[in-house]
Order: sequence, then structure tokens, then C-alpha cells
Amino acid sequence: MKLFKLTLHHIRRSPFQSLIAFVAVFLSFSVLNTFVYLNRGLNHVLNYFETKPEITIFLKDGLDAEKITALEEEIKTYPQIREIRKISKEKALELYREMNKNNPYLTEMVTASILPASIEISANDPRVLEVIAQKFSSKSEVDEVIYQKDIIQSLLNWTKIIRIFGIALVVIFLIASFLIIFSLIGMKITNRKDEIRISRLLGASQFYVKRPFLLEGAIYGTLGAFIAFLSSYLTIFAFRHSINHFFQPIIFVNEFSLLDILILIAELLFGLVIGLSASWLGARRYIKW
Amino acid sequence: MEIVFDNVTKNYGPINVFRDLDLKIKAGDFIFVTGPSGSGKSTLIKMILNQVKPSSGHVIIDGQKLSEIKDKREIDRIRKKIGVIFQDFQLINDLTIEENIALALDIVGYPEDKISSRINEVVKLVKLQHRYFLFPSQLSGGELQRASLARALSVEPEVILADEPTGNLDPTNAWNLIKILQEINEKFKTTIVMTTHNMDFIESLDKKVIKLDK
Repeated sequence: MKLFKLTLHHIRRSPFQSLIAFVAVFLSFSVLNTFVYLNRGLNHVLNYFETKPEITIFLKDGLDAEKITALEEEIKTYPQIREIRKISKEKALELYREMNKNNPYLTEMVTASILPASIEISANDPRVLEVIAQKFSSKSEVDEVIYQKDIIQSLLNWTKIIRIFGIALVVIFLIASFLIIFSLIGMKITNRKDEIRISRLLGASQFYVKRPFLLEGAIYGTLGAFIAFLSSYLTIFAFRHSINHFFQPIIFVNEFSLLDILILIAELLFGLVIGLSASWLGARRYIKW
Repeated sequence: MEIVFDNVTKNYGPINVFRDLDLKIKAGDFIFVTGPSGSGKSTLIKMILNQVKPSSGHVIIDGQKLSEIKDKREIDRIRKKIGVIFQDFQLINDLTIEENIALALDIVGYPEDKISSRINEVVKLVKLQHRYFLFPSQLSGGELQRASLARALSVEPEVILADEPTGNLDPTNAWNLIKILQEINEKFKTTIVMTTHNMDFIESLDKKVIKLDK
């Protein structure tokens, strides 16, 4: 009797037990996928801020052009400055309208006079920005200095917390899946001990009688991982536009790429290892004759 | 395949089953093993299968002492050359008769493309060609014993060990089984070791007899 046919026969003989093992692996990998995609998105956010070292100096109202030019000239004296962009009140209004073009209620009441003028500075070396931020925040012409380092630090803290929480949760779920498959294979071996004993008397090797149980574990592991990937992927990509819109201009969820295929392959292998090792240990523990 | 019991003693705790048993079964022999219940007939069969180990002495198969074989795969190889018929059939209940036979053939590594034709041959030989697609629970005692015989024969064994194969059969079915075993022994020179306490068979057939006392 062919191995695969015999294994499917075993699965069909106890469908509910098999379903429990499958669901356990499915849930574990769904949690894993959620954290993998969340982590990828947060990395995009971090990258966005890290690759654009910038500070924005908001100016007080009523400054004349000379004072603003003097500030610009002073900034230019710092090394490693890449770009200095002066945003007038009118330009700030234009940018604000562009950002909120789909929401006329937010643009109707806003005029240029209530928005502050600002100077945006980007640099090749973020350390320069730190010096500028310290120096300019105490100037009388400056209302506020926003430095992205604080945002990055805050994001890094959140990412770290999410990663630790995610890893802990995934580890707990995977251990549970492992134990479920291990116990399930043990139960199935006990149920089929007559079949195993008869096969051994007919000359079947230990490995021969273990094979269907090993394959069964491998099926739970890989199938659970595959369906979990597929459902997580489809769910995330169904909401991709909404998520990306929320985080714009940052692309939080990418198009399907080679990295997704690599993640799928890695998860299938991981599922295979979990299913196979749990069933191997179960078979080793319960098949002794 | 030559089977030798060399000075074999077997005790189950304080109960002695054999003491210093010496016997030689040559290739092509047809041997009845008889004796009262508890005399060790089934133990003798189990020792050949290495299911039960002697308390002292050796069971030697083709010159190899079973107790000295370290590699378990060698025991598996020996078992593959032996067909076994059990009194209680020992068929796998959730497989059809066809699947039970296919499993035995798969275990011995029978060529996959020939399994189906081999099953047809053996079920015809034991006259089960109209019932082999059924599950064991759907067959009568006589049919189950023939199915068990078909499984044993299918692997073209060098030896058939039959442990009280007629114990659950009516006289007609019992004689039919004996006739098939005799035919196989004569036609293929397969060694037959059959345990029984039915003296009719022993007296009617001119075969070697090993008598075990309690």
C-alpha cells in the first residue's frame, strides 16, 4: 500500500484529531505572519525617517525677509548640509491643501495667515542636524524645532516592544503546536498498535511502520504553514491600499515580491521541521516494538 | 531455509515451557507440532519469528543464531522470508483483504507493478476471488483464515508458520486449508510448520510430527 495513501487513510480515520493539529499549526503561523508583516511595515517607516535626516525650524510670525535670509545664511555655514528649503506661509498652505485635497472641510477654514513659515533642512550627516537643532531652538526668531531623531527613537522603542511580544507569542504558539502534534501522533500510534505489530511480524522495519506517522506530522506542519501564509497574505493584501493610504507617503505593505516567496519557503520549511520533529519524537516514544 | 532449535529452554517466570528442546526443520519439510494447550506450540512459532526469546539455548535460522543478531534489520529480513497464519487471523480490520495483502507485498518490497496481479493469483488459489475487496469484518471465519493464508502465500515465503490455523474452522474448511498447504508444500517446496491439536490431520497425513508435552 502506498505510503501517501496509507497516511491519508490514517488522517481520514480520525478527522477531528487531525483538524486540531492542523488548526494549531495554522494559528501559530498566522500569528507569525502577522508579526512578520507588521515588522516589515515598521521597518519601512523607520527607513523612511532614517534615510531622510531632517529638521524643521518653525519661525515666529511677523519676521521680515531679512531676518529669514540671515537665518538661512547662518545655516549654510554648517558642513554636510544637503538642502535648505524655505517654506513660506503661502507655500505651507499649498502643501496643506495638497495633503488634504480629499477632505474639503479641512481646507475651507484654513488660510495662510494661521500656518507658520518654516525652514526645512536636510543633511548628509545627521549629527550636524543635532547641533543645528540645539543652537536654533534657543533663538528668538524660532518658534519650534522638530527633529526626527525623537520620532525615530520612539519608533525604535515601539518596534522593539512589538518584536519581543511577537517572538514570545509565536514561540508559545509553536511549542503548543509541537506538543499537540506529538500527543496526537502518540494517540494514533496507540490506536493502531495492532496494525504496527502485525506489520512488524510481516517483516516491516521500524522505519517502515513509522513512515506514515512522520508523513502525517509533515503534512500538518507544511499544510498549516501554507494555508496560514495564504490567508494572512490575502487578508493583508486585501487591505493594502487602505493601510498604505493611512501611512502615506510611506509604503507600509509592498507589492508581492521575491521576499514574500522566500518567506513562504522559509515558513514551509519551518512547518516541515516542526511537524516532522514532533511526529518523529512521538513515533520514537510510542513505537518500541 | 533451515530452522534449528539447539538445546532451547523457555520459562515464563516459574513456569517451564520447554526444556532442552532440540529439533531441526529442513527446507521443504511439512511438520505438525502438536501437544496439549500450554505445551508451548505457539511459543515455538513465536521463537522462530524472534517474537519470544529462549531462556537458554539458541534458535538458529540458516546458520544464524537469532539471539546473536545485533542488526534488527537482519531480523526483518528473516521475517520477510516467512509467511505466518495466525489462529486469530491478525488481519488489519480497517483495510480490505486486498489492501492487507498489498501491505504484506509492499513490506517485502514486491515490485509495485506486479502487486495487483499477485493479489489476483493468491486470492484465486484460496478461492477468495469474489470476496477480496471486502473488509475482514464482512467475512466468515473460514474466509478470514483463507485471507490470512493468501497474505502469507502472497510474499512467496520460504517457510509458512501456521499457528492453529484450523482452530476456528469447521471440518470442511479445515480440510480445504490443509489441502492448500499440502499443495503449496509439494508444488513450491515451501516449508510448512503447523501447530494443531487435531489428531485427525496428523493421523491422516504422513507428515513429520513434533509432539510437545506439558
